Amino acid sequence: MFQIKPIVSMLLRNKSGPLLLLIQIILSVAIVANASFIISERIGLMSRDSGIAESEVFDFSIYNFDDSIDPVTQPLRDLDIIRQLEGVKAATLTSMTPLSGGGWSSNFSHGTSEEDRKDGPNAAIYYGDEQMIPTLGLNLIEGRNFYPDEVNAGGPELASLAIVSAQFAQDTFGDEPAIGKVMYRGNIGTQPMKIIGVVERLQGAWVDNDNLELSIILNVELASSFNRILVRADEADIVDLKESIPAALHKEHPNRVVRGFTTISEHRISVYRNHELMAAVLSMMVVLLLLITSLGLAGMVMFNIERRTKQIGTRRALGAKKRDIISFFLVENYLICLIGGVLGGLVAVQLGQQLMTLYSLPKLDLIYPLVTVAGLLVLTTVAVILPARKAANISPAIATRSV
Amino acid sequence: MFFYYLDLAWRSIKKTPFLSLLMVLAISIGIGITITTLNIYKMASINPAGERSSTLFAVQLLSQDVDTWQRINEQITYQDATNLLKSEVPVRQTAMFRTGLAVQTEDENFSPILEGVRVVEGDFFSMFAVPFLHGGTWSKQVDQEGGYKVVISEELNNKALGGGNNIGKTLMLNRKPYQVVGITKTWQPSPKYYDVNNGAFNDSEQIFVPFSLAPIEEFESWGNNNSWRHEDIRNYNDRLNSEMHWLQYWAELSSPAMQQEYQEWLGRYIEQQKALGRFKRPDAKGEISDVATWLTTNNVVPEDNKVLVGLSVLFLIVCLVNMLGLLLAKFLKRAPEVGVRRAIGASRMQIFSQHLVEVGLIGFCGGVFGLLWAWGALSLLASKFDLTESLSQLDQSMWFIAPVIAVSAAIIAGIYPAWRICSTNPSVYLKSQ
Repeated sequence: MFQIKPIVSMLLRNKSGPLLLLIQIILSVAIVANASFIISERIGLMSRDSGIAESEVFDFSIYNFDDSIDPVTQPLRDLDIIRQLEGVKAATLTSMTPLSGGGWSSNFSHGTSEEDRKDGPNAAIYYGDEQMIPTLGLNLIEGRNFYPDEVNAGGPELASLAIVSAQFAQDTFGDEPAIGKVMYRGNIGTQPMKIIGVVERLQGAWVDNDNLELSIILNVELASSFNRILVRADEADIVDLKESIPAALHKEHPNRVVRGFTTISEHRISVYRNHELMAAVLSMMVVLLLLITSLGLAGMVMFNIERRTKQIGTRRALGAKKRDIISFFLVENYLICLIGGVLGGLVAVQLGQQLMTLYSLPKLDLIYPLVTVAGLLVLTTVAVILPARKAANISPAIATRSV
Repeated sequence: MFFYYLDLAWRSIKKTPFLSLLMVLAISIGIGITITTLNIYKMASINPAGERSSTLFAVQLLSQDVDTWQRINEQITYQDATNLLKSEVPVRQTAMFRTGLAVQTEDENFSPILEGVRVVEGDFFSMFAVPFLHGGTWSKQVDQEGGYKVVISEELNNKALGGGNNIGKTLMLNRKPYQVVGITKTWQPSPKYYDVNNGAFNDSEQIFVPFSLAPIEEFESWGNNNSWRHEDIRNYNDRLNSEMHWLQYWAELSSPAMQQEYQEWLGRYIEQQKALGRFKRPDAKGEISDVATWLTTNNVVPEDNKVLVGLSVLFLIVCLVNMLGLLLAKFLKRAPEVGVRRAIGASRMQIFSQHLVEVGLIGFCGGVFGLLWAWGALSLLASKFDLTESLSQLDQSMWFIAPVIAVSAAIIAGIYPAWRICSTNPSVYLKSQ
């Protein structure tokens, strides 16, 4: 019913045009399938939930370069000053800022003796106090937070209690409850750190790291001349706090540099910038490629109509309906598109294989070539029907003319 | 004849404006995308060392124990750095790292700023060809004994000291007075090859202080600090004596003979350290790589850029195939006209070159529009993604590369249609007229 046989024999008689279209479709499918796969992979990376109230949290740093400033007591006093400022909901000293691209990470061991020692996965380490959880807006799902008197000020060696992310608990202890487990720094027995709480979700600083979801909060307010502080406030208050915090801190002591003031949302934008750039360039490529392919298709159809004017007129004179003319063009192009789609799908998988071996890209999901071919069929329909309607309007009388 | 063909081509283009526009559009978009990605790639992969590339060598040591990380680290320990500095083989050499210090001036009202600082040997400036506006580097004696000397950039000189020749003036760094001995002109190698682990496309430092001050002033390290074993580091001295990798090391070796000699020297150093029981792995070794190799092994050009260039080349091929199809259609439609021309004496060669000129013209237009596309796309990307200027600027060579790619690609695509049309038999068309 679709007159496939005459169409095929016609295609075979005049090979070069359809062959070019075929090559174009094969390449388009290969490119579009891989590009949209990479785009969706990047969008997937970017849409992961950090577990943090990103737009309400900002970080800044204080650098005390004056030797007369005590590195242990001064940060605590600064923290008190900040907590009393208007608009500050919560604040904590921290060793690192989530999603900032820089921070601390470490492996801890666990077990009962040196023989059955297991080394845990590499995780982001947040040193902070009891306000770390309210500041970041984390959801504590098991156990408890630190009590204020459990937090020590000094070096990392003072850590004794830990709150871990659910993913860390899962990866380290499997189905066993993490609460009550003890981790060690290096050998079993050195510096025990007991897990007292689990938060639903907390990301680290490195978004391209597989261990992004693995994080540990330890009960230490780090003493150093370089302090980083996280503050939570209403979005509307953040602008004012950028002024009032340095003013208050400089009033306390002028010999210091206070700088930063970046919200986690802003950190997110810059840390994912390369992925967003890649996704944007590839989307641009996909849209333009589809545009070019459909324009090329439409151009070919238009050319064919002109060349087949006489043939179409004759067919109309012999009783073919307008519909038949349109479906003739449609079937012709569907055939090319389908063959191109199948071959293109194969090339796409090959290209994906190449990209996977040469670069650190994951394996191409088969759904992408399929969706691409489906999309191309829709596009073909549009690109063919518009000019083909013109062909259907060719008068049967044209067949009776000599040219 | 060429101009006559150009005229013919222009007439033919005007005769089928829609089809011609389609072809120009197709090739220009292809060129636009290719030039955009190629430009980003090229700007990221530029070798900023120029002719010094083959004489500057990054030095690495495979010094960690066997069952830790396996790769050769891009940085080395302080112990090794001080030992390597004793070698007399290289013309110049420097160990270095990045730190940060608070800058104050003698002006009370100048509010302190925190600046990135590079801690280097005095040879750094001539090794990396840092241009000086005033003064120069500090003396060898400062490198040996330590001294509060500083080299600052023109920019910081303007910001903190009000510009002008401020050699001999004092700059306060972390409340210590440093004497300004040199002011550099703006210097921003991109990528920042001498230290790739602090962001290869970040700004270069504004302040340079002597490496010999590091143990005295205990500058913090603002870079990666990699330890392959747990060490209890409680103070700066522990850090200096630790196995932590945190320093970059570069040597200038001016001839292959010298490189050979330095390799041998490194070999002897490794053996000596092995004998002392420090380097435990049997395959411990020293490696030197020139700037070009260094940039490649450190993947300074992000993989994404390579994927994009590859895909955009495929994209350009699609555009060409598209154009080929349209050209074929267009030329074949003109077969009767060509038949007449052939009958009245035009040779095949003439028909062929006439059509190639037409194709070339379309390609050239496509190239010009493609450049505009690329320029627009780059500006758009730069404004939306905050790209540094060094990455988003349209490289001058592209003004040449784009039309050349466009014209040659178009001609390659046009050969088949032009050949088809010139090899048609004129009599067929003459009969039907």
